[in-house]
Amino acid sequence: MITQMQVKGLMFDPYTNAYIVILRDEDQSEMLPIWVGKSEAGAISLSLENVAPPRPMTHDFMKSYLDAVNAKVISVVVTDLNDNTYFAKIHLSYEDSEYTIDSRPSDAIALALRSHAPIFVNESVIKKQSSEELDQWLENLKPEDFGKLDS
Amino acid sequence: MPDQTPQSSETLIELTIDRIVEDSNTDTRIVVLSRSDEATERFMIWVGASEGESIRRALDTSVTPRPMSHDLVKNFGEHLGVKTTRVVLTDVKSSTYFATVYLENKGVTRTIDARPSDAIALALRCHAPIYVTHDVWQRRSGQNLDACLNKLETKNIGAHEA
Repeated sequence: MITQMQVKGLMFDPYTNAYIVILRDEDQSEMLPIWVGKSEAGAISLSLENVAPPRPMTHDFMKSYLDAVNAKVISVVVTDLNDNTYFAKIHLSYEDSEYTIDSRPSDAIALALRSHAPIFVNESVIKKQSSEELDQWLENLKPEDFGKLDS
Repeated sequence: MPDQTPQSSETLIELTIDRIVEDSNTDTRIVVLSRSDEATERFMIWVGASEGESIRRALDTSVTPRPMSHDLVKNFGEHLGVKTTRVVLTDVKSSTYFATVYLENKGVTRTIDARPSDAIALALRCHAPIYVTHDVWQRRSGQNLDACLNKLETKNIGAHEA
């Protein structure tokens, strides 16, 4: 079973110095945070804000590559979560055939936003993350982190 | 391997990547290229940190557990049967370099406008040659590698003092 999700926003996690993409389903009942690198976060952010950079950035180049050969992004699917690493698949249509390509979710999402392709998430990933990620988040919090709020 | 050199081949100079230099002050990388035919003259292009690291990984042929962005583009080509035949640094305007990536599938050649960083990162992964037009090579004038690297080192020392 897969659920369609939308990119709701981008956050910065000061504890891990990482960026987090927040995916949400249509009826706002499920949320999936995905940790991504700085440059991939930048690529997603440019797309969300509809900013067209003067020169094509890496994911614009990726889209130009597919456009040049008339390949289309049908959809992307976040398929699995293993040891805090997410896996995704990009579904392409090209010359009447369909191709499935392994990808990091960050690249898949950055490309989906530029291609106006839907983003899906396997339900098993949503179930897994709700326990794994929350535990990790809580473990990372230290007493002094709370203290900072007062100062 | 069949030669894909275009008709204007006499105006193209083949380049090899010499090394990647870190400019920690500006969080950029400098790609140092040299002519394949004479290794003494050099050419430099400033690229973003992530693009520079992507080029470095391709040079080191290091494998990451998950495909990085340029690995993904290479994988598109492998799945769809599209070959990256060459990349050409075609122009420079106000210190911004422009590149063209040549793709081929079923005998049809297609070109894509790209930044040199993406073009080079893909070319290295696909074992495609990297060229610069004679015109752009000439206009790299004023690029003095030693002076530039010295300046970079001085800047770094300054940063530590601050």
